[in-house]
Amino acid sequence: MKLQYSGQEQIPVDAGTVWTFVNDPDKVGHCLPELVEMTVHDPTHLDAVVKVGVGPVRGKFRFKFELQPDEAARRMNMKISGGGFGSALDLTAGADIVGVDASSTLLNWSGEAVMRGPIAAVGGRVLDAQARKLVEQTFANVRMTLSAVGP
Amino acid sequence: MKRKEDPRFLQGKGHYVDDVTLPGMLFMALVRSTYPHAEIKSIDISEAMKVHGVKAVITGKDLEAAGLGWLPTFHGLDKQMVLAIGKVLFQYQEVAAVFAETRAAAADGAEAVQVDYEPLPVVADPFTAKKDEVILRPDRETKTNHIYHWEVGDRDRTARAIEGSPKRVRQRIWFQRCHPAPLEPCGCVAEFDTMGRLQFHVTSQAPHVYRTAISIVTGIPEDKIHVMSPDIGGGFGNKVPVYPGYVCAIVGALKLGRPVKWIETRTENLTSTGFARDYHMDIELGATPDGRLTALRVSTAADHGAFDAAADPTKYPAGMFGVVTGSYDVPVAHAEVDAYFTNKAPGGIAYRCSFRVTEASYAIERAMDILADELGIDAVELRRKNFVKKEQFPYGSALGFTYDSGDYHQTLEKALETIGYQALLKEQAEKRARGELMGIGFSTFTEVVGAGPSKHFDILGIKMFDSAEIRIHPTGAGIVRTGAKSQGQGHETTWAQIVAEELGLDPQNIMVEEGDTDTAPYGLGTYASRSTPVAGAAIATAARRVREKAKKIAAHLLEVGEGDVEWTDYKFQVKGVPARSVTMKQVAFAAYTNPGPNEPGLEATNYYDPPNMTFPNGTYIAVVEVDRETGEVTIRRFLAVDDCGTVINPLVVEGQIHGGLTEGFAIAFMQEIQYDADGNNLNTNFTDYLVPTSLETPHWETANTVTPSPHHPIGAKGVGESPNVGSPAAFVNAVIDALSPLGVRHLEMPVTRDKVWRAIRDAEAGKT
Repeated sequence: MKLQYSGQEQIPVDAGTVWTFVNDPDKVGHCLPELVEMTVHDPTHLDAVVKVGVGPVRGKFRFKFELQPDEAARRMNMKISGGGFGSALDLTAGADIVGVDASSTLLNWSGEAVMRGPIAAVGGRVLDAQARKLVEQTFANVRMTLSAVGP
Repeated sequence: MKRKEDPRFLQGKGHYVDDVTLPGMLFMALVRSTYPHAEIKSIDISEAMKVHGVKAVITGKDLEAAGLGWLPTFHGLDKQMVLAIGKVLFQYQEVAAVFAETRAAAADGAEAVQVDYEPLPVVADPFTAKKDEVILRPDRETKTNHIYHWEVGDRDRTARAIEGSPKRVRQRIWFQRCHPAPLEPCGCVAEFDTMGRLQFHVTSQAPHVYRTAISIVTGIPEDKIHVMSPDIGGGFGNKVPVYPGYVCAIVGALKLGRPVKWIETRTENLTSTGFARDYHMDIELGATPDGRLTALRVSTAADHGAFDAAADPTKYPAGMFGVVTGSYDVPVAHAEVDAYFTNKAPGGIAYRCSFRVTEASYAIERAMDILADELGIDAVELRRKNFVKKEQFPYGSALGFTYDSGDYHQTLEKALETIGYQALLKEQAEKRARGELMGIGFSTFTEVVGAGPSKHFDILGIKMFDSAEIRIHPTGAGIVRTGAKSQGQGHETTWAQIVAEELGLDPQNIMVEEGDTDTAPYGLGTYASRSTPVAGAAIATAARRVREKAKKIAAHLLEVGEGDVEWTDYKFQVKGVPARSVTMKQVAFAAYTNPGPNEPGLEATNYYDPPNMTFPNGTYIAVVEVDRETGEVTIRRFLAVDDCGTVINPLVVEGQIHGGLTEGFAIAFMQEIQYDADGNNLNTNFTDYLVPTSLETPHWETANTVTPSPHHPIGAKGVGESPNVGSPAAFVNAVIDALSPLGVRHLEMPVTRDKVWRAIRDAEAGKT
């Protein structure tokens, strides 16, 4: 099943700082909610293990991340694939970094997730809310981490 | 007589494969594909091997290296990957097998196996497959998704007859993909004993075929394989194929030198083992203005999934679909089936029906109602007008079957009288006048079962005979063994009764043993309603051979020539002298103590090659009410009048009919294995694939007529599958009859309440 999400985060730092942040796989990885472990392979690839709960099913998902920066457009695309308990998740997400002023940046993000396996069969009953939470929380964590750093 | 096996089951003393526990036994879990179509870039087992208790992991490459990468499918037209090699072709396909000390460790190990997939385009229906834009099986010589074309009948004459018919109807009818869903999923325990012999406990409907197939696949000599099928918690065709998990368990037991148990989960059973149906049928009927059929034509696209694993006889890739002319005297007909590969689970098994008979029966019974509606003729009258008449039997159908016997008019009339059809019609008219939706649906089906005559039928080249061995002990008790295998059909009762009736013995003292290939004679197993038509005939014939032998011993005891002895009133007597007689019990004792000039002992074996199929039939009537506001369908009454020939045990027959009707009800209203456009299976457990409980199941009314099969030793035709074959059309016809005042002509199964509600809403919107 396909799930689509989008949202916006307003971050109180300049666009350059945000762009540098989202190009750092270690920093992006640590924004994943319920992160258990993470391995950065190179500037654009990392593996992560996160705790996931879908309905009564709770366990770990392993993900491979690929960052695909488009510097000219100030857009960070991400390809995320992985899964767990017999299910697979393929997620493509993109974030446009739009500088508002010297101390404020908008992060406009959208994503599409494709679920396969028993979790997909659970369907909209619980999956949509869980997946949305995962994606929204990641970008919210980006904002919170950068906000803590401050302008 | 009550079922002999029931006390055991009711007291929880059944012995199923998961009850088999052996010293040192390991457990197997399978890694399954999350993708419906993807290249396997790598499989990393390193983390799995670190899981506490995991002993080994095998992959497709391991099996391929050992020459065990592929498994032949049962009707010989295809082969199936045991574990995926190179790519996966359906979601939940077997990718790797993990062996561990406990079931939990095996599951944890399977979870830890990392498979890197590269997704490929998905083909999720046969019509897309037909375009050949994505070739799913490049391993095959022919680079197409088309598996086979099969046809029967006279294409040109049928076309001319249809075109020349004053009245023609045409309808696309899809018999949805469904699943037998036995409550006990598949499983096995594999062990190589101290002699190096494979001891294989398995939930199999056809143990001997398994033994032969395992030998062919693994190269283990057949004498080194012992297959034991214990009690089975439902089969319904699902336990006929040999599944990849079985091969993996055997390989694991061989590799690790320890017994291996593998029991499927519910999800594994629903997503990877043999599904049923999935036939898209374009059916056309030609008729005269007064409703006499002139021709039938049906063209079908069959979705076979990733491998052609339909367990059909070699010469019949579309099974007995040629019975699509049903109970009707159709002058000319043509049927064709084209099968395609898709990215779905393989299968196409006979779910409680003879091969593809349910699809055929549903198509003709729906089409007859559509024709009746368009002609403005009562559906009963149309059927009555076109039935094969009893004096026409044996009847040669336009598509090549020779129907053995039947009296369709008698069965219909009995059903009409029993249900009170005229009163129902009156009530329906009154309700329609008030805007209420009441429907009366008929299915006057004929099925073809008892495969089958060796000149036509084989599985993997093995002719579809069946067998029986009877031994009568000195005290008059006995044992009967057959090549069939009960999964709830009541063989322990029915077989004992056949022997008892033929030999004048007490059925309570006739033991029935099946499922052990070391002791039972070779047989093709139980499916496609073949037990009583074939194995039952073998039992009766073997019993008669016992009686012939007993007659010689009786002559010795009576001190007369054999020609002077007759079998009367369940005993041997001197002809015309009832006072001089001996019972079978006395003869049995003499067979071991005083056989005279005869060979000692009292036993016989028979391998029965049926001269023809049998043709059970019936009239089923469903009466429904449809709630106009919610689309809720209420089954008010359901009557099944079956003609299965000679009835051996009425209680067993009634039980079979109740079970089959409940399954037919589920198919009509609840069950579908759905795939989304991306190839995701959406019905992976019993919360999404519904099995009716006693709360939903209607009250079943049953009755019967008897036209014995002229070629069966005791006239029996088989009944286990009639209710599943016949009932879906009755249910759907009743719902459509209820909705017909709104102009609704057809709804696809399952006829869920939302589908009915939408049909009502759309119809009413169209009117306004």
